[in-house]
Amino acid sequence: MNSDVLVQDGYLEEYDVVVIGAGIIGSMIARELSRFQIRGALIDKEPFPGFGVTKSGMAQIHSTDFCPPGTLKGKLCLDAPERFKRLADQLDVTYKEVDELWLALDPSQIANLEAAKERGEGHGATGYEIIDAKKIRELEPHVTEKAVAALYIRGLGVIHPAEWSFALTENAVQNNIEPHFDTSVLNIQKTEKGKYRVLTSKGSFNTNFIVNAAGLFADEIAWMVQDHHIRLTLKKGSVAIFDKSVSHLVRHMIFGTFSESHSQNVAPTAHGNLILGIHYTKTENKNDTSVEREGLGKIIKLGKELVPELSERDIITTFSGIMAANTMTNNGDFYIQPSEHAPGVIHVIAGAPGLTAAPGIAELVVGMLADAGMDVKEIKEFNEKRRGWPRFSTARLDKQKEMITQNPKYGHIICRCEKVSEGEITKAIHRGASTLDAVKHVTRAGMGRCQGGVCEPMVLGLLSKGLGIPIEKVTKKGKESFVTEGVMGK
Amino acid sequence: MKRDSLELAVIGSGPAGLAAAVKARQEGIKNLVVFERDERPGGILRQCIHSGFGLEKFNEELTGPEYANRYIKMAGDHGIDIELNSTVLELDKDRSIRVVSEKKGVRDYACNAIILAMGCRERTRGSLDIPGTRPAGIFTAGQAQRLINIEGLVPGREVVILGSGDIGMIMARRLTLEGAKVKAVLEILPYTNGLIRNEIQCLRDFNIPLMLEHTVAKVHGEYRLEGVTIAQVDHRRNPIEKTERFRSCETLVLSVGLIPENELSKTGGVLIDPRSNGPYVDELMETSVPGLFACGNVLHVNDMADNVSLEGELAAEGARLRITGQRSVSDQMVDLKAGLGISQIVPQRCSKKQDVWLNLRVKKPMGKIKVKVGDIRQKTFVCARPAEMVRLKIPKKAFEALGPDITTLQVSCEEA
Repeated sequence: MNSDVLVQDGYLEEYDVVVIGAGIIGSMIARELSRFQIRGALIDKEPFPGFGVTKSGMAQIHSTDFCPPGTLKGKLCLDAPERFKRLADQLDVTYKEVDELWLALDPSQIANLEAAKERGEGHGATGYEIIDAKKIRELEPHVTEKAVAALYIRGLGVIHPAEWSFALTENAVQNNIEPHFDTSVLNIQKTEKGKYRVLTSKGSFNTNFIVNAAGLFADEIAWMVQDHHIRLTLKKGSVAIFDKSVSHLVRHMIFGTFSESHSQNVAPTAHGNLILGIHYTKTENKNDTSVEREGLGKIIKLGKELVPELSERDIITTFSGIMAANTMTNNGDFYIQPSEHAPGVIHVIAGAPGLTAAPGIAELVVGMLADAGMDVKEIKEFNEKRRGWPRFSTARLDKQKEMITQNPKYGHIICRCEKVSEGEITKAIHRGASTLDAVKHVTRAGMGRCQGGVCEPMVLGLLSKGLGIPIEKVTKKGKESFVTEGVMGK
Repeated sequence: MKRDSLELAVIGSGPAGLAAAVKARQEGIKNLVVFERDERPGGILRQCIHSGFGLEKFNEELTGPEYANRYIKMAGDHGIDIELNSTVLELDKDRSIRVVSEKKGVRDYACNAIILAMGCRERTRGSLDIPGTRPAGIFTAGQAQRLINIEGLVPGREVVILGSGDIGMIMARRLTLEGAKVKAVLEILPYTNGLIRNEIQCLRDFNIPLMLEHTVAKVHGEYRLEGVTIAQVDHRRNPIEKTERFRSCETLVLSVGLIPENELSKTGGVLIDPRSNGPYVDELMETSVPGLFACGNVLHVNDMADNVSLEGELAAEGARLRITGQRSVSDQMVDLKAGLGISQIVPQRCSKKQDVWLNLRVKKPMGKIKVKVGDIRQKTFVCARPAEMVRLKIPKKAFEALGPDITTLQVSCEEA
């Protein structure tokens, strides 16, 4: 997103609160903070919201039965689907309702389902049902015949988290939170006046309060305020995305078995592909999002065990994400706490299921800031609505015609796999999608089966034109990720 | 929605679609439109600025754009309407299509016949599962070709090419001519996957190293590509760890196969042959849905544009017969089945009522071979490679020897 207007060298301004990290949690917190009469900034090292751990998960709004009894996360997950549905309406983003089927692949596994049902109900959930093989086949005809029973949970959902982080950030900005992207936090100092000075690659921010929602980098931010006890245990999860031609195979979030090295899960995505995961490996490197050959083999095996018709032939892409395991607490719970050494600093170390709990976390964090002394007077003119832009491929025929009448560029299809028009891409660029990957995540141009093979050269041109920069300066994902060396002969 | 009527819609204006449209017009089909999603006609030939086209069709060696221009001119001379920047969104079994464009918005057409000529797309890194990071600097060969030849942009200076498909080898030469250093062309198989002439003219003549039975085992670099780990592969095509070595490069070009683009065909209910990845057709290119025809790379990946145009002309003939009510669904069809040594075959069935041009590919490189079509036809070829299509004609007369109870012919090949 373009924050050049706000940031210059040697920049130093006074803030009430600085949120570090514009992932799904940071952007959710920023949006929640934008209700109040405060000056707030949202900082992220990436050029666009949601480009850390947020964009590379399974993107599911889970049920609460995964959470151990008595945990904060169990509480925060309970009403998550309702919160997400409400937000989807306010922010004009995709929320797709998907029900869950957790399969028992042999009779010995039924006890796990019963325990999960009990756990969920312990958190206050209702409507959980254990169903037999016949009912499973009715709901999901392509799952393995080995499935003898399933825990059936209705009313969950899936989203596209990068799109959500972007929408949340936009709504926060509408309500006067200042966005600072491409901005790395270098250090945090205490000032004489008892405030904090956040030193960044783009200048300094003086602030009373800090929310550390830096995801994988939350430990490094914590160390800057002397909270050295905060340590993250990293693990890498690898997943695969399937071509839409096989989407009919799976309609539910289907789970199988879980271990240190895997979560067996295949599900629809918000935009109608299938996603299959997750193979875990240990890693020490936060930037190590490489996918290993061995891991791919294991993912495919996990998938075929649940849905035998899944084939590696139909995989259109694979990716990995690094996540922090929940090792800051004894019971695997979230660690969302005010700093032990630095008053006014709140650390948010969520791990899984951080996405599901994000709306609840945002409210909780605002409460903690208020307890720490932040003035929470609501602004009168808070605008909870953010409008996206029309999407050609999902619009109804009459709407499509209207779109093209208003702007003929909606009739020019650039991404043929996902049917994304020039009008949409130009709109996204204008709204802050400044890289190929950002355009891809908010418009879906390049997300389809040819993975940008055809539309990428055209999107490059639109980015160059829309951003007013030479084509050789257009990047895939910011920094030095230049796509071409520019015009021949120059 | 109100539908306009067309006798014939041709989807795609590459060498298949244009040849089909020109032929159909010559045969008297008046109410016909070609839909093209790009801003100019010509399809992929627009970016194939190398020579080697037209030897069969025009008896001279042309570049891709020259070849396309011949057909564009013929189409113009015949007053054929080519609607540019027009994407066909949907195709229905009842032979109706929905098209969108900037100029005309969304329109529906009811057609008497439709010729599918959408070409193919490239396999990507995702479908190959190449491990490693996700930096900028990884292109498919066709994408790199478009960047250089259409957009006038340089993809990079230090290049490794994975896959020895024709476009990959042609891009090795093209990038070299533009001053880039092509460090190696890697091919996982023990033989190249393109035409021999390209291996000689594009790699050997430019001293570009070709490494057979090698692949990219890993991609490195966080922002822009920094290099690749290359490795020799074992007999199961898995990288051998002890042969791994790092090669620095900021550009990786993938030329690892083409896939006929049949997503639209499938929405029209057209049955797809898993061997060719294209529709099942008869000798006049009619698919499993009457009135829907397919030709060129949407049908099967061809090695020569000239053959693509020939297929277009056959499809046009089929469409004409269908439009004029002279073609009926025959119950006398014979299935042609890929047998021993054959990986794919087009057409997959025929009516016995006319000559059949059979296109096939062998499974592995062979010396002198004898191709047999049941007991009714055989032909010897001096050599055959998977990358080069084998063509033979089954004359109409040959079917006379066939008993009425024979409904399947095995097509096979053996060393002669």
